[in-house]
Amino acid sequence: MFQFEKQAVAENMMSAEIYYQQVVTSSWGSLNTSDEISGIHTVSTRRRGRMSQLIRSHIPPRTERMAVDQDWSSVYPTAAAFKPASVPLPIRMGYPVKGGVPPPKEGNLELIKIPNFLHLTPPAIKKHCAALRDFCTEWPSALDGDEKCEQHFPVEIETVDYVSAGTSIRNPKARIVTLRVKLSNLNLDDHAKKKLIKLVGKRYCKDTDVLTIITDRCPLRRQNYDYGIHLLTVLYHESWKTEAWESEKTEEDMEEYIWENSSSQKNALDTLLQIKATENVSNVTKEELLASEVVRNYRNSVIALKNEGETESNMSQYKESVKKLLNIQALP
Amino acid sequence: MLRSVKGFICRPLKLDHGYALHMAAKDCFSSVVSQDVQTPAEKPRAIFYTNESDPIKTFQEACVMVRKPALELFTYLKNSNFAHPVVRYVIYGERGTGKTMTLCHVVHFCARQGWLVLHIPDAHLWVKNCKELMQSSYNKERLDQPLQASFWLRNFRTTNEHFLKEIKTQQKYVWGKRDSTEQGRPLGEVVEQGLTRVKNASDAVGVVLKEIKQQCCLGSFRVLVAVDGVNALWGRTTLKKEDKSPVSPEELTLVYNLRKMVMNNWSGGAVVTTLSQTGSLFKPSSAHLPHELLGKEGFDALDPFVPILVPNYTEREFESCYHYYLHCRWLQHEKARTEDGKEELRFLSGCNPWQLERLSAPL
Repeated sequence: MFQFEKQAVAENMMSAEIYYQQVVTSSWGSLNTSDEISGIHTVSTRRRGRMSQLIRSHIPPRTERMAVDQDWSSVYPTAAAFKPASVPLPIRMGYPVKGGVPPPKEGNLELIKIPNFLHLTPPAIKKHCAALRDFCTEWPSALDGDEKCEQHFPVEIETVDYVSAGTSIRNPKARIVTLRVKLSNLNLDDHAKKKLIKLVGKRYCKDTDVLTIITDRCPLRRQNYDYGIHLLTVLYHESWKTEAWESEKTEEDMEEYIWENSSSQKNALDTLLQIKATENVSNVTKEELLASEVVRNYRNSVIALKNEGETESNMSQYKESVKKLLNIQALP
Repeated sequence: MLRSVKGFICRPLKLDHGYALHMAAKDCFSSVVSQDVQTPAEKPRAIFYTNESDPIKTFQEACVMVRKPALELFTYLKNSNFAHPVVRYVIYGERGTGKTMTLCHVVHFCARQGWLVLHIPDAHLWVKNCKELMQSSYNKERLDQPLQASFWLRNFRTTNEHFLKEIKTQQKYVWGKRDSTEQGRPLGEVVEQGLTRVKNASDAVGVVLKEIKQQCCLGSFRVLVAVDGVNALWGRTTLKKEDKSPVSPEELTLVYNLRKMVMNNWSGGAVVTTLSQTGSLFKPSSAHLPHELLGKEGFDALDPFVPILVPNYTEREFESCYHYYLHCRWLQHEKARTEDGKEELRFLSGCNPWQLERLSAPL
């Protein structure tokens, strides 16, 4: 009796079923042969045996009976927790065991904790749209492209309505209004554009040239919308004005590098004047020097270097322009 | 010429005939001239103390690999017009690609041609870890560094001995109540003064630089100003004054004078500088482009300069370096001689000279 028990315990890779089965068979077998069995042991094995009859064999999960082209929106019609037996995907999630892989989906709390969007697959959303179509009006046929929409309606207003099952239809998040507008659609000159960008700060995205204003300081959506429009108007008018203190703008405030009146221009001109002086050329004026080809080249390369950052091509362009400027010959 | 070359960089560059040969040859990429010495970028500090890994002592010879950037610089220097204002060259590149070695090569070239060489092995040493800071007697705002200044003066004296006798001071310099240097005395006296009276060393350095700048415009000799780690001149320092306020670089006499030297308002020479990230203060280790390391101030001060990029080894350069190591029996491992070993070294080091040296050291 004890030997079989020890064997079963030692091989702990075995599942509980097999363990129970083994114990059951061994207990029944040894009852007849061994004479070390005490009365207590006999009782315990019999109890374990009965329990093994109560345990059902595991039924296969629902995933094995799912067809490939099934209707998924019937499996997950609404937002629900992750059910490993209902999702036919071999997902693993969690911190991997040392030298191993993340744990599987069966009994995985990590997968159950996180929100999932299994109820919002594209076919499901198509069905939602089909259901909502009855409540919608027609899209105007004249606006058949994004460019036309942008041309006629440059300002985009975004609001969100929230529906939930509960006693109240109010949701405080519903008052948020997002205003989006492209600065190229606004009538701004160079100074006004720079001033506007400085005024709005992070709300402007340089890559897409979009100004985004999100307002939620008023309790009602209409009030927030009015406030957003008011902000846009004020920004536009203020950026066109030039204040007295704007003339004190220093080099650090500049958004991009301007070569005129910079130290680079000064250095270059000084060097060129010195070179000309040594060659005893008659007084060449600054304007002539500035207009000359080499200086133009140099100016472009320095501007590229400062504005776009340093790349291989920029540096080699700068090198060539400096060599031409200072008359350095490469080949002997 | 060999004698004056010997003393410079404070380590005897014993030149053998092979080296003299390849200086003359124009296309020096052939593996015949595969002698090279790989020194990591921190090597200039190793000058001041010898350690077992110093290849000069180990190999009993100092060899420099001739590479494209150095040759490019030589053509520029040969063709430069010395009546024009001095041209600044900035050697830049990633870590461990051989910028300092290129600079040393250029210094050697100019020394052989007979130029006066003002070599500052590492400008970063002047802006950090300075034990003694004194207020300058010449200008109350500035701070002196007697130790660094006297060290540099000593090296300068060893490298440019015969120039010191030729150049004469053009005005009178008063060092203190009793010391003064009259007009027309050789520059060597100023250097001696700086070395004996360590308090005046920084001012002596300033005087030397000023005199050289004034006189080389006359055309009797050429000057090469070689600064390693020039980005130290425009960065920040780790030094603090007595009231714990940070010191900015222009408050240091040495840095102030060196900045004036690097300007292009004089003629009759060249300024060759390197940017160095190792040893630089408050700069990330990935920074290697001029703008990143020099900062806006430094770039504007050096503008217009000729940037020279030093890349990693090409195929041929790697081959020659590898063969040199084999030839000197530096690579002892049996597998290192095989083709596989060579490929492994190439892959592991990524053809970076510094990495290659580090890898082959324990082999």
